Amino acid sequence: MIPFPREILAVEGARQIADGDVVIVGTGLPLLAATLAQRTHAPGARLVIESGVVFPKVVPTPVSVVDPRLMHGASRHGSLYEALGGMVQRGLVHTGFLGGAQIDRYANINSTRVAGKRLPGSGGANDIASHCRKVVILTDHERRRFPERCDHVTSPGFLDGPGARKAAGLPPLEVKVITDLCVMEAADSALAVTALMPGATLAAVRAETGFAVEAADVLAEVAPPTTDELTLLREVLDPDCVYFPERKSEK
Amino acid sequence: MHQLLTDSKVLTAEEAVRAFVTPGAVVGMGGQNINRCPMALVHEVARQGVGDLTVVGCNLSLPLDVLVAAGLVVRTEQGSGNLERYGTLFSWRRAVEAGAVDVRDHSHLAMATRFAAGANGVPFLPTRSLLGSDVLAGLAEAGLARIVDDPWGGGPVVLMKALAPDVSLIHAHRADPSGNVVVEGVTSHEVDMVRASATTIVSVEEIVPDGELNARPEEVTISGAYVSAVVRQPFGAYPTSVYRRYDFAEAEIKEYQALARRGDDAYASWLARHVLEPETFDAFLERADPGGVRRAELTESMRRYT
Repeated sequence: MIPFPREILAVEGARQIADGDVVIVGTGLPLLAATLAQRTHAPGARLVIESGVVFPKVVPTPVSVVDPRLMHGASRHGSLYEALGGMVQRGLVHTGFLGGAQIDRYANINSTRVAGKRLPGSGGANDIASHCRKVVILTDHERRRFPERCDHVTSPGFLDGPGARKAAGLPPLEVKVITDLCVMEAADSALAVTALMPGATLAAVRAETGFAVEAADVLAEVAPPTTDELTLLREVLDPDCVYFPERKSEK
Repeated sequence: MHQLLTDSKVLTAEEAVRAFVTPGAVVGMGGQNINRCPMALVHEVARQGVGDLTVVGCNLSLPLDVLVAAGLVVRTEQGSGNLERYGTLFSWRRAVEAGAVDVRDHSHLAMATRFAAGANGVPFLPTRSLLGSDVLAGLAEAGLARIVDDPWGGGPVVLMKALAPDVSLIHAHRADPSGNVVVEGVTSHEVDMVRASATTIVSVEEIVPDGELNARPEEVTISGAYVSAVVRQPFGAYPTSVYRRYDFAEAEIKEYQALARRGDDAYASWLARHVLEPETFDAFLERADPGGVRRAELTESMRRYT
């Protein structure tokens, strides 16, 4: 089986979740990544959904944070204040998955407006970036998405650079950005490339990044999805190609 | 028993909106994304053309977009405006980009914190969200948030100003005539928003007899103490879902989004035909789904997951 680039993204996203982690996800690839992790190496990982769903047993394939498929078999159906305040702000959620229209050199995220164009806004993203210990971002790697500085900082990464997060009163954070070209990481620093996707080059990464991105001396290559991971993803988690329309032509 | 004759809050949507939604009101909007949006109440507001509204909520979705399309909204205070994978709110986006709707961006927790303050009768509550962000800068400039130092030495916190809507609109599973409300599934921001509001209209799938909920009051999600009017409206959240009752109607939501994105004459005539012309929400439902075949399908679809 040959994986599509976004399938590799989802699988590499799943690998960011350790067994026993409490994770907050929206829908889309992060949800697939989290449910894949639960069904492979991290059966003890538990999900929190911002609408108030605590520890659900996800039925494939939800499309919304209030989808009944995402509310199944939960510990509790509560409120947004409980999920984002009582769990995320309270410090009980280790890892959050986020997206955004722009991610800058210091891993700040913009989901509010780009060049006068109105976007949906923060939702729970600012809360997750403010309080989780680790943020994982799954995104296509396009130059316009990776500017030197976001037009608007919706969700804080490392703000103006080293020390700025602490000075603002925010707790420490690790960020991992996983794209169809590479993995970039930062911890109170600028994003730096630490691994390449199978077949990608650092030159391609630099061509598609709007800031001068650093790279580790030795770059690992991301392991491609195993047959088991791909089978789970395709046949169990998204059998109707809701999140992978590119697979439809193959079927 | 003494309540039976005097205290019924049951009204029609037409009566409730006329009594409680006034021009220039701050409207607390229930629902989130594709779940339990108060569509019947919002259609009635649009039909009555109550304007100059400020709409507030955490995630604002389809109900806001319909009110914006009807030209009734001047400002929103929200955590997000979208329908997740079905896209942004196109009428809202157009109005915001044209400068016709003023926007106060929050995070979801920041909005929930404002409602919690309003619900508890205090002028503000703290959060540690927003620190360092441009969202905070915007709210500070608008006078809605302020950074202070924790008096016990824990570093900076953000005080969020209490928010008390003039009227909240929510759709729930059931209520009794005294306005005691039961919601099944998640409640998003709704409970604190309703408790913060001066008045609230709740539309419900079902009205249960007085006394039934009093036998198990711990199951009541919102006390009738906070509810002004109860409107019986089965499928009152369609095309969004009601947990354990009916699924969201994906095809209809996609159709709406395709029309709203274009924002042309076809969209205007859809709004006229589906929102403005039908005299009641039942008449709208019959027009959208003659004979109820689709409603039966959505009921069956929800049954599979609950």
